[in-house]
Amino acid sequence: MLAHALLGGVIYGCYFALVGLGLNLVFGVMRIVNLAHGDVLMLGAYAAFFLFHLFGLSPFIAAPVVIVGFFLLGLPFYYLVVPRLALAKDAEMLSLILFFGIQQIIEALAAIAFGSSERSIPGRVLGIGPFHLLGETLSRAWVIGGAIAAAAVLALYLYLYHTRSGLLTRAVMASREEALASGIDMHRISARAFAIGLALAGLAGVFAPFMLGSVTPAMGTSVNLAAFAVIIVGSLGNPLGTVAGGLIYGVGLLLMQTYASAWADLLPNLLLIGVLLVRPTGLLGRRVRLA
Amino acid sequence: MRDFLAVGLPVVVIFALLPLIYANQLLLFNFVLFLILAQGLNAIYGFTGYLPFGYVGFFGAGAYGFALAVMHLAAPPGLALALAGLAAIVLAMILTPLLRLSGAYFAIANLAAAQAVYQVIANPALQEITKGPYGVSLASVFAPRLSYGAALLILAGVFALVAWLRHGRFGLALQAGRDDPVSAAMAGIPVVSARIIAWLISALIAGLAGGVFAWHISVFYPETAFDLSFSIFAIVFTLFGGAATLTGPIAGVLLLYGLYNLIGISVPQYFQLIYGALIVGLVLFLPRGLASLLQRRGIDVP
Amino acid sequence: MSPEPPPLLAVDRLVKRFGGFRALDGVSFSLKAGEVLGLVGPNGSGKTTCINTISGLYPPDGGAVRFAGERLGGLAPHRRARLGINRTFQSPRPFASLTVRQNVALAAAYGRRHGAGGTVSLAALLAMLELDHLADRRAEDLNSAQQKQLDLARALATGPRLLLVDELAAGLNPAELTRMAERLAALARDGMALLVVEHLLSFLDRLTDRVIVMNAGREIFEGTLAAATREPEVVRVFLGSDHAG
Repeated sequence: MLAHALLGGVIYGCYFALVGLGLNLVFGVMRIVNLAHGDVLMLGAYAAFFLFHLFGLSPFIAAPVVIVGFFLLGLPFYYLVVPRLALAKDAEMLSLILFFGIQQIIEALAAIAFGSSERSIPGRVLGIGPFHLLGETLSRAWVIGGAIAAAAVLALYLYLYHTRSGLLTRAVMASREEALASGIDMHRISARAFAIGLALAGLAGVFAPFMLGSVTPAMGTSVNLAAFAVIIVGSLGNPLGTVAGGLIYGVGLLLMQTYASAWADLLPNLLLIGVLLVRPTGLLGRRVRLA
Repeated sequence: MRDFLAVGLPVVVIFALLPLIYANQLLLFNFVLFLILAQGLNAIYGFTGYLPFGYVGFFGAGAYGFALAVMHLAAPPGLALALAGLAAIVLAMILTPLLRLSGAYFAIANLAAAQAVYQVIANPALQEITKGPYGVSLASVFAPRLSYGAALLILAGVFALVAWLRHGRFGLALQAGRDDPVSAAMAGIPVVSARIIAWLISALIAGLAGGVFAWHISVFYPETAFDLSFSIFAIVFTLFGGAATLTGPIAGVLLLYGLYNLIGISVPQYFQLIYGALIVGLVLFLPRGLASLLQRRGIDVP
Repeated sequence: MSPEPPPLLAVDRLVKRFGGFRALDGVSFSLKAGEVLGLVGPNGSGKTTCINTISGLYPPDGGAVRFAGERLGGLAPHRRARLGINRTFQSPRPFASLTVRQNVALAAAYGRRHGAGGTVSLAALLAMLELDHLADRRAEDLNSAQQKQLDLARALATGPRLLLVDELAAGLNPAELTRMAERLAALARDGMALLVVEHLLSFLDRLTDRVIVMNAGREIFEGTLAAATREPEVVRVFLGSDHAG
């Protein structure tokens, strides 16, 4: 039972790393708290649902469609909102409130358009039969969701560390002032990071029906809390620290569900508060962010 | 004091008289409830800049403090109300370390804390004590008119408190600490302890609101008492009207909660859409709320 | 013969590190009541860090600050204010949403030194700093010279015995400079000790002839301003700097 929980935890951990990844990238580059992150994920899940039920497209097709679509929507959205926000004195706090408003708009529109009933995609579309790994039998949908998430994390790593645009992105993350002074086109880099953040959230959404259960317009808030727990446990503003956060979160969640299922829901919240108070920079972080 | 007499007291008197001509007392009660909650949020957000997304945690703690006092101690409503306030203050004391966090981290950690309290109270494992997810029924103390009166008393107290914060030495010190904690310290202001006092005051207000809510509706579930909408509404009403004023949150509640009751009850999504758009518009165009329209012209908004 | 009383401020081998960087590397000096000490040096030499450490914003990593013979240790800034240590900021930090009068009144109410004698009324203080006609304006509506006056008024309202002045002259016009120098000199004549960080040496020259020159967290010269400008090492440190004065 322990081995099963640990293995499942690692798979879930990869998935939760993906859930937090986009949020953390956006925060790292723009110092903006995208409270609508969970709702973007929800939209990705609905996209996958409708692509499947209306056109019979499997999530494997939906994934690239959503990634490209959300990326292309993200660019103009960035220019519409963020530059204006960045002018404000207390941009971080205002961004929290602003994206909270956007979250409410998305949630309301989704409820009006899709209704509030729970939607799901049958797990068999990802392949039939259980999956055997290291002597444990696991749900095939889980393994696929975890593997895709791991691939997305790897892709972001390659982007950040092996492309010129990624190098500039890391420069902006390290110091906005220095990057600005050295003539980097801040808005171009930020817009791209923002759009990638939305695309990653959308991708996580495509596999949400298999990993998180059924999909509703109101799922955003709980997804947000999980995502915040993951990135705060890892390291805020450091996208790859998200992986560590995701793994700790995933393994913790599965262990709680196995051994103390009644209290499993408490985990993200306690983890989040505990880490913030004991080690406010995240387990891997260095940057101080106290008042 | 002048602000209280000019703005606060008339509102209290109007809401005391309204039941004579308007029969929907639950609706009136909800207005009073949100007037209290918006000012309670104002006390911490408006005067210190700390935005408590999990403000509902104190409200829920108050509601359950009241319910547990009635169920297990057979406390009379007055005593139970005091214990409701105490429950919220104790929770706020436990959460005091969160004030070390800045801006967004504080808001998110506070939200997580409220969720955690909800999950503990709603947990089936604690059914013996809290009745878990099955909710509580306090029929023995049900007294809608008396509890409405109690809510008005609390409201009057909260108005007086915010009026005092606006002009009293302590409230000015809080605002100085919000504007610049470093030079506030050089002015001799104990910024951290002042902030903690504001935090406890704000929690107490939400706890009393939760207690009087429990008393008035007498049957409720954990998801009612910990409904995130309480936080959200209190924040939106306060931001909309203008934080750190007495009038702003009142205007926010009367206008927006009025709007909610016109369109929101039947189709809550449309109201959610409207207030989402309002928030976005406010942050981008009017970050200090309606009151700033006047303040910009040099008019002091009470 | 009674022994000489201890100096009002004694800074003893003060060390402040940020990460691996030693912003203050063993600085020592002392200051008597009514005395004015200038602190000069290129940017990043540790002058403002010195003021921040004495006023309690940073805990020191080594050495000690003694005030009126008492070791301050990790005493919080607001308690230092009440002991009689106050300061101005390089870029003024008023309480933006409060009025000028409220800014100053708060400092008088919370930071007033225990046993501060010769209480100056708020009205007199505002008049002295030419803020009386602005008393009911919000601080954020003042121009930067007025905000500097307000910053000083806030510090003086606490009745300090030691005033740490950080780059007060920058941005003031010649007439304002003259009046500001006269004000500070008058405060010193009344017994206040002043530690003045200043780039504008002509301004400093009107206040004192005793300066300390700092470089890279260390004191490299102590003496008169005139002697400092003849000292080869001081000249070398300032050469190539925009602020050679």
